[in-house]
Amino acid sequence: MKTRRIAALCMCAVMTASLAACGGSGDKGASEGGKDKGGKLSVMIWDNYQEPGLKEIIADFTEETGIEAELQVVQWNEYWTLLEAGAQGGEMPDVFWMHSNESQRYMSNEILLDLTDKASDSELVDMSKYPEEIKELYTYDGKVYGIPKDIDTIALWYNKTMFDEAGVDYPDETWTWDTVVENAKKLTKEDGSQYGIAIRNDNNQEAYYNIVYDMGGEIISDDKKTSGYDDPNTIKAMQYIEKLIQDGSMPSMETMSENNPDILLKSGKSAMSFHGSWMVSTFKQEDYIKENCDCAVMPMDADSGRRVSIYNGLGWAAAANGDNTENAWKLIEYLGSEKAQQKQAELGITMSAWDGTSDTWAGCAPEFNLQAYLDMRDDMVVRPYSRNTVTWENRASEIFKDVYSGNMSMEDACKQIAEEMNATLSEE
Amino acid sequence: MAKPKKKVTSQERNEFIWGWIFIIPTMLGLIILNIIPIFQTIYKSFFKTGDFGRGNIFVGMENYQKMFADTQVWQALLNTLKYALMEVPFSIIISLVLAVLLNRKMRGRSVYRTIMFLPMVAAPAAVAMVWRWLFNSDFGLLNHVLGTKINWISSPDIAIYSIAVIGIWSIIGYNMVLFLSGLQEIPGDYYEAASIDGATGLKQFWHITCPLLSPTIFFVLITRIIGALQVFDLIFMVMDKSNPALMKTQSLVYLFYEYSFRQKDQGYGSAIVVLLLTVIMIVTVFQMIGQKKWVHYN
Amino acid sequence: MEAKKKLSTFVIHAVCVLVSITMLIPFLWMVLTAFKSVPESTQVDPFIIFPTVWRTEAFTAVMENMNFMLLYKNTLLLIFFRVLCAVLTATLAGYAFARLNFKGKNVMFSLVLFQMMIPSQIFIIPQYIMVSKIGALNSIFGLVFPGLVTAFGTFLLKQAYMTLPKDLEEAARLDGCNIPQTFVFIMAPLARSSMVALGIFTAVFAFKDLMWPMIVNTEKDMLTLSSALAKMQGQYATNFPQLMAASLIACLPMIVIYVIFQKQFIEGIATSGGKL
Repeated sequence: MKTRRIAALCMCAVMTASLAACGGSGDKGASEGGKDKGGKLSVMIWDNYQEPGLKEIIADFTEETGIEAELQVVQWNEYWTLLEAGAQGGEMPDVFWMHSNESQRYMSNEILLDLTDKASDSELVDMSKYPEEIKELYTYDGKVYGIPKDIDTIALWYNKTMFDEAGVDYPDETWTWDTVVENAKKLTKEDGSQYGIAIRNDNNQEAYYNIVYDMGGEIISDDKKTSGYDDPNTIKAMQYIEKLIQDGSMPSMETMSENNPDILLKSGKSAMSFHGSWMVSTFKQEDYIKENCDCAVMPMDADSGRRVSIYNGLGWAAAANGDNTENAWKLIEYLGSEKAQQKQAELGITMSAWDGTSDTWAGCAPEFNLQAYLDMRDDMVVRPYSRNTVTWENRASEIFKDVYSGNMSMEDACKQIAEEMNATLSEE
Repeated sequence: MAKPKKKVTSQERNEFIWGWIFIIPTMLGLIILNIIPIFQTIYKSFFKTGDFGRGNIFVGMENYQKMFADTQVWQALLNTLKYALMEVPFSIIISLVLAVLLNRKMRGRSVYRTIMFLPMVAAPAAVAMVWRWLFNSDFGLLNHVLGTKINWISSPDIAIYSIAVIGIWSIIGYNMVLFLSGLQEIPGDYYEAASIDGATGLKQFWHITCPLLSPTIFFVLITRIIGALQVFDLIFMVMDKSNPALMKTQSLVYLFYEYSFRQKDQGYGSAIVVLLLTVIMIVTVFQMIGQKKWVHYN
Repeated sequence: MEAKKKLSTFVIHAVCVLVSITMLIPFLWMVLTAFKSVPESTQVDPFIIFPTVWRTEAFTAVMENMNFMLLYKNTLLLIFFRVLCAVLTATLAGYAFARLNFKGKNVMFSLVLFQMMIPSQIFIIPQYIMVSKIGALNSIFGLVFPGLVTAFGTFLLKQAYMTLPKDLEEAARLDGCNIPQTFVFIMAPLARSSMVALGIFTAVFAFKDLMWPMIVNTEKDMLTLSSALAKMQGQYATNFPQLMAASLIACLPMIVIYVIFQKQFIEGIATSGGKL
């Protein structure tokens, strides 16, 4: 009995010791946690809808160069935790996505690989072909840290069936924000089974930022030092949202927080809402939306005629302290090249950053008028950001909750947001 | 006057050596994996943290001053306490009753036990999604069946209690397993003797089960209170950021996550953790002291 | 007497059935959703309970896209080693804290309690850096790492040992057993049911652990069930039938483990008067 017990304990000890060697592909003697997998690159993204398409493009890359790469998808929240941990002293993926919410921090702390010289020497990458403002997102102190990957624009989605029923003409280029307010009211049913429009307190990029810039307001000053929320034009624009709330054309805050505007759209509860081009890949799988909805260009400001789309774009970046920076660059270079950008749009993954390659993207869902998204490229304003975007964006959304509940006027809300935002910006 | 040297008996020395040998693996692990990080966190609470752990500026008590003046933090503390006050008693009482019922020889016992245990193995993401639909104000099952239009998870007044319901549902299996294992260790003779003496089921419960089970109940109470005060996942997954009830539902850990992970203000986040830790410590100490009053060990 | 017994049996069964239904409703919803089409699953109005057509597409898609065997293997390895480490270390430490007297015991035990009070999110980044530095990312060891020791388990076992009669050790000593012998042959076996309970919990919490497996193992071959499930939630939309189907397939091994271990409870670990 005693020997059996000891034997069992010994066996456990042996098994435990073998744990350390029990790696997935047996990384023995890994140095500094380096990925000595014969140069296999780790590529990390957070959107599993883009995974299939990107996998294809990466396979093309491997065929051409012989360099292997594995695409890994990590959920948004954990993605940033992982990068943060990697930056603090752990290991980072070789190639990964960068976003304007975080890019400043990563660049200014030299976490990202400096791509400036590589980009200018490269034959595949031509920095002049990418939108200026997207490039800026991933440039710091004159150095390039990320190659633009894509752009996204916003469009107005509407329910044709509901419009037909109410006898309202479909949205087109003649629509102004006043038209929106007017028709939203007409499309709202008394019994609460249908609302004219759904705009949530946090639909900033999709909805209210666009109105603000149309009317000559701004969210943040160009030098990123002051808030634009107390600009009279901004307040004027935001009051359109207030009007929609007061008219009762929008579902309650409770409903919208429990059910995103896109769910309300596809459940036939709202007649209009604003969505970015990133929603198209999910919309095209929804039978209800395919049968009943379509998209149109954004409304314009009645006075100035301005028709803005807020836009944003991700960038491909590499870790500065990676083991495989040469190959990492080769992959990034490939992904940013005209050919790959073209394919990205063709496969319907997203609209690409390389000038002129996105037109084929409109063909990825022919049942919709995706040309609207392409047309919105004529007047684009980059999504407002600063070093601490998340902080003041969250506060703004939070304060707007009071406007939705009727406890605060939009004007007061904007002024308070400006105050808090200025305080946050001054700390940057 | 020098104290007379106490002779260390070989028994005492043995216990000393073996005691330490037995606890070394655990303590070593805990210190490296957990205690050091927590001291790092407490340390960070006195700084205005820079990016990626660089450029931390010492600010002394500033984070704490800000925190004491922050109504959001106090509201979060209140929310957390409300959650704990609802989850802990209800889940313990329900699972205790269930465990006692299912400890006896009865038909279908294994089936029932397995069913009670199921919520514990369901993936959190799936659980959150299901309950969101159940509680949905416009289209949820609950309102559909009851014919009401209650904002279960978007009304500031009741959202925290709805979350607590999900918490109770999830944890009953856990409590029950613990109670069952504790019940197993109560020798059957006690019950036999009591029956012979004419004591009924309920009397047996109060006078035999409860006292003999008290160490287990104590354990469940302490761990569940700590667990409830640390609630995060449920709120994070069930309540959207745009939820009007968020202010009155977010817990201290939720707030910590928001500041440390989302807004990268690790100094302030760490201060919030220290506050939570203090609250938990006080509550636990009271319980440890109180155990002498009602917990019976052999 | 007979009627009274029948009534109480009936009432007890009624209560159990009622509670069971409450426990099961969310599961039923999961099962039903797994058989729906995607639009049906997110349809909010009208409220769809039963799928119009019982589709198995979600299941087939999920079985094709996810290498369940590999996921099971990784998850089971994670669970196995964590349970092993937890039970071994906690039983030893729990006994020492409960029954041995040694200097520094109280200080050490308060550290154990202290660890339990700390929210686990604190540990993620420091532990990731530790694992990364020893080169154990994307390995089973990396997965197991946070669970190598357990304060919770130590506390649980301590409570268990404290309920055992003191005379046992006296008797053992008189028989000539030293401390480790007393522990291994007499005391530990008596705490079996608590060890089993600890095993079950460790298994369940390891199974559900989400944040850690997601960041420590990102390579496809090294994913666990929980990370694979989390991946299915897209940033903007989720294929709910597939998520539900995958969740159901995922929790099967756990139920099996539970059923196996659960028998331990029934099969007379608690013998009548066993310890005396």
